[in-house]
Amino acid sequence: MTRRAAIVLAATAAFLYLPIAVLAVFSFNASRLMAFPLSGFTLEWYRSLAANTKFQAGFVTSFLVAQPVGILSAALGLGGALVLVSARRAVRLGLAALLMVPFLVPKTVLSIAQAMVLARFGLDRGAGTLIAAQIIVSVPFTTAIIASVLARLDPRLEEAARDLGATPWACFRRITYPQIKPAVSAAYSVGVILSLADLTIGLYLAGRTQPLSLIVASEFRRELSPDLNAMQVSVLVLTAVIVVLTEGYGRLRTARRRRTAPRSPSLARTERVA
Amino acid sequence: MTAGRSLLALPMVLLLLGGAILPLAILVVISFWSVDFDAFELVPGFGLASWREVLGNPTYPYLIGKAVLTGSVTAGLTALAGYPIALSLLRVPQRWKSVALVVLMTPLYTGEIVRIYAWRLVLGTDGLVNGVLLGLHLVQVPVKVILFSPVSTILALVYDELPFMTLALWIALERLDLRLVEAARDLGARPLTAFVRVTLPMTSTGLCAGALAVFALSAGDLQTPNFLGGPTGATALASIDNFFGTAFDWPTASALALSLLFALGIVAAVASLLILRIGGGAVRTRP
Repeated sequence: MTRRAAIVLAATAAFLYLPIAVLAVFSFNASRLMAFPLSGFTLEWYRSLAANTKFQAGFVTSFLVAQPVGILSAALGLGGALVLVSARRAVRLGLAALLMVPFLVPKTVLSIAQAMVLARFGLDRGAGTLIAAQIIVSVPFTTAIIASVLARLDPRLEEAARDLGATPWACFRRITYPQIKPAVSAAYSVGVILSLADLTIGLYLAGRTQPLSLIVASEFRRELSPDLNAMQVSVLVLTAVIVVLTEGYGRLRTARRRRTAPRSPSLARTERVA
Repeated sequence: MTAGRSLLALPMVLLLLGGAILPLAILVVISFWSVDFDAFELVPGFGLASWREVLGNPTYPYLIGKAVLTGSVTAGLTALAGYPIALSLLRVPQRWKSVALVVLMTPLYTGEIVRIYAWRLVLGTDGLVNGVLLGLHLVQVPVKVILFSPVSTILALVYDELPFMTLALWIALERLDLRLVEAARDLGARPLTAFVRVTLPMTSTGLCAGALAVFALSAGDLQTPNFLGGPTGATALASIDNFFGTAFDWPTASALALSLLFALGIVAAVASLLILRIGGGAVRTRP
């Protein structure tokens, strides 16, 4: 690595992590005023956060909404990706164009249009509509992630399995899925993250459901306060923990299966390819 | 590939048709309706009042132009910053690349509200920037113009979208045969000439994908200008939200939303074609 490249990357990392670092510093700063110079170290803001039941309820709600969003976005994205890499050209182009819609249309516009539809058809807004709307926004990402891995698979492995008499389902479960599992779990993480990070969709479609981002936004409109800092840092850490756990779990299982005797040599090879 | 396998995409297709296409179609229908403000009811019909309001009042074309400008400036700035970063990422040793990817993408995991909040701590009157400036005695009183100005909005948008652009350029650069750049340098091209004549055309698809994503995301952002732009933070999206929520004027909200989508779509399409044309030369000269 050249020195210039190292300097550019260090500057980039500094820029990307500067706001997060400032947030973390102030969450331990012993003053209600968020101003430099710093006043000393305290855990008071984390203590007051631990006592705030409203935030805790919001966090639980966010978590409960994010799980179905992650799972269903990954499942729908998997179905879409399987078609996207193998169907006729017309089907592929149609599907790709359809997936571009929620990606390119501003979230505010899409959410308002969805809210209008729900109101016209007399449907209530709540956790269900929030989850559905968040899935719509995350499927372009999950489909792209899974399709990019599917497109790079060696088609001869599937052909060989089919030639040897595997049913399409057995072929998918034993040959294709083990190779794309990391991508599917990455898609799940992206769905969860997009859901936890979302504010815009929640503003229009959450109904009486109150995820954390909505609670924070309404507090934030009034004033900045240090326990909000502590909470942002906690959310950040918890999001990171979710990501690391899902990624780590996937890797651990793959590693464990590699250590135990493989059921068939061909399967072991496919996993190594993955 | 059997027709049966295409059914796997059916759940997603149905969800997108019902949850994205249908609402946008309803937007078109409602834009021709009117509102009875006495009864507080939408009146179905075919009128052009809301379209006349949106296209006749200079405020809305101005706000739509502002959205296009915000998206274009952010796309341009992220491309300018993204190329040096992506070129540097290319030099990272192979086994460190997955770490670099995590470092690049992690800031995206923070919610939009968290990022906005953090920028207020950095740019505010008592914030980090002013703290440093005062500490170094570069200024005597805190600089107030940074926060709540177009500068803070664009800075926060560049921050939000930089990872997307960098990733798109990085992927494109990994596919580029670096020997072509070396050959250009060996034949006497200056670094900038080699970049403009070789690297840029051969990564134009990545640039196009990145620019499209950044343009759509930043032009479609309501919260960042709303919370950081102060008096300059008025956006077409905020007006749409206002017509939809506070004013209960759904037809005007719909007409404005559709005008915005139309303008963004046209600009995105033209810009994509122009960017891909940079790459046209490179593809043609390949033997």
